[in-house]
Amino acid sequence: MGVDGTFGADAVRELAARSGEPDWFVARRLRSLERFGSLPWPDPSLEEWRHTDLSGFSLDGLTPLPPRRARASNLDGVPREALARMGEVGEREGLAVQVDADVVHLSLGREARAAGAVFAPLPEAARDHPDLVQGILGSAGTPASEEKLTTLADAFASGGTFLHVPRGRRLRAPVQSFRWLSGPGIAVFPRVVIVAEEGASVTYIEEYRAGELGGPALACPVVEIYAGPGADVSFLTVQDWPGTVWHFQTQRAIVGRDASLRSLGATFGGRASRAVVESVMDGAGGSSEMLGVYFADSDQRFSYWSLQDHRAPNTRSTLTLKGALKGRSRAVYRGLVHIQKGADQADAYQVNRNLLLSGEAKADPAPFLEIEANQVRCSHATSVGQPPADQLFYLQSRGIPPKEAERLVVKGFFQEVLDRTGVPEVRGALERAVESELERDGGKVG
Amino acid sequence: MSMPAEEARAGEILLEIRDLRAGTEEREILTGVTLTIRRGEIHAIMGPNGSGKSTLSYVLAGRPGYRVSGGEVLYKGEDLLALPADERARRGVFLAFQYPVEIPGLSVVNFLRAARNAVHRPEMPPLEFHRFLRSKLSLLDMDEGLVRRYLNEGFSGGEKKRNEILQMAVLEPEMAILDETDSGLDIDALKDVSRGINAVAGERVGVLLITHYQRILNYVTPHVIHVLVAGRIARSGGPELATELERTGYDSLREEEAAAAGPLA
Repeated sequence: MGVDGTFGADAVRELAARSGEPDWFVARRLRSLERFGSLPWPDPSLEEWRHTDLSGFSLDGLTPLPPRRARASNLDGVPREALARMGEVGEREGLAVQVDADVVHLSLGREARAAGAVFAPLPEAARDHPDLVQGILGSAGTPASEEKLTTLADAFASGGTFLHVPRGRRLRAPVQSFRWLSGPGIAVFPRVVIVAEEGASVTYIEEYRAGELGGPALACPVVEIYAGPGADVSFLTVQDWPGTVWHFQTQRAIVGRDASLRSLGATFGGRASRAVVESVMDGAGGSSEMLGVYFADSDQRFSYWSLQDHRAPNTRSTLTLKGALKGRSRAVYRGLVHIQKGADQADAYQVNRNLLLSGEAKADPAPFLEIEANQVRCSHATSVGQPPADQLFYLQSRGIPPKEAERLVVKGFFQEVLDRTGVPEVRGALERAVESELERDGGKVG
Repeated sequence: MSMPAEEARAGEILLEIRDLRAGTEEREILTGVTLTIRRGEIHAIMGPNGSGKSTLSYVLAGRPGYRVSGGEVLYKGEDLLALPADERARRGVFLAFQYPVEIPGLSVVNFLRAARNAVHRPEMPPLEFHRFLRSKLSLLDMDEGLVRRYLNEGFSGGEKKRNEILQMAVLEPEMAILDETDSGLDIDALKDVSRGINAVAGERVGVLLITHYQRILNYVTPHVIHVLVAGRIARSGGPELATELERTGYDSLREEEAAAAGPLA
């Protein structure tokens, strides 16, 4: 896993010049690059990385500097294929489209502008709104196990979005960013920063797609969410890359007093997909609902790490993660509920359920609890198994052929999570993604 | 696929069970059941717990985990046991489950449409299906809201049983097997369920009503009653047999059966 000059300081400066970034932001990039250089690649013998198969992964042959793409006020700069894959975009308060390393379109609705919301690619937000960005960027912290990747992502942050919703403002329609790769050999590092001030409310949709690339690519998003006191944030991620993309995502949310966060991660694509998703309940009464679905096939490797970190009393967190696996795919789940000292009356659960649709697929879930407070309620449950035989028989006894019965059971299995998306078009897109996964390899699975 | 109406005649043999022996992998539960059902007939099978009533219904429906060790079952003259469960249903065999299965995330209406279209061709256009479904719901005095819920999830015992009968009404089977559909129902639900059964029963349809209690026979009148004891039919008779059983209970029949089987049984 070598790094040559393509991931050096000159490349950082060239990337920074694209948006005329302020000095502090460029300096931050360069510090991160230095830190990146001083860190070893993740040791596969560490528990955090033991289950992520990095064989075949290399930065060699990838560039963080694909050809620059211009911004347009319309969608003319968006490749036709990307437009087709975006599908139905419902009523949106804001829309950003990133192609490779550049945001080629960004718009914010009149209502959101009137409310004083700020929505911009991160480097431009750093340039135009340093007062909003400089203090908060990176303050959520980084999981130590991910630092090699997050420092790389900091150094080469490309595109990305910054959203700031002022105190008490509620954006009625979702804000969406759609990120597209136009070809192989590209490494993108979108950084997403969402700040909802006290009492603000927003739903954000983050989507990753590309056509068949015919070669490797890397996507390494880093997401920071700050939900102020009483704020209400939904963050929905749909990852549907083709099968040659390495996807390593880190997401960390700071949930304030009486704030509520709902995050959903849907993983369908990529050669290997690793998501580290963390919620920190930092203020009393805060709550976090983590939802996840994944559907792996062929040789895909998915891993999902969660942290529900309770640091204040009367906080609540849930995790519901459901996956189906076909072919020789693998899914690993590791999750920790940590109730820190003083987080009395905390209430948390973790559930991970896996359906194996082939004899060669494997899932390996392991939840952990660490409790240092009093009077808490914690529970967890995991399961790995085939679609329940009694459900399949019940459907077959109504004339439904075995394959169709399995399809209905698997769709139903995901529905519990999909019903919680809160955005009809996202729910519809996920239902279609599940359908198309079910149809893939149609002839082979009995 | 259902047989076109004009080919099916009342009185013609529909289901023929001959000396059926079956059970789980470990144990033979049915020790030789023989029974013939003609189109237009309602048969009731009564019997104490553990007599093999549910085993019989599951074996007829093709549930995995049961082993047939002898005898045969002919449906419309063909070997029923050779067919997979879904094919039996498509040919017109229906089982109302004693314990309906919950399928989270699958709505009743989507399930019913998938089942109806699997069993009957051509497919019913969606609007026509909804009209059809509404008529079945009102027949059973069921709330339309129920079909938007997930299949049997969070249903009360009565809702589950009504839902079984709704499925039967939608699938319009030729051979309906009802496994203790009456158990655990209050009187209103029992009346609704009975009305559903009577509506499906008719000249071309055979009904096998498996029950522990005589109560449902006040609302659905069988042509023949069989008493299943220790895996075989101990007695058969007309509706009057139910009244007799009500009086004497199953114990007398159990003793008769034990005496007939000899001292080693």
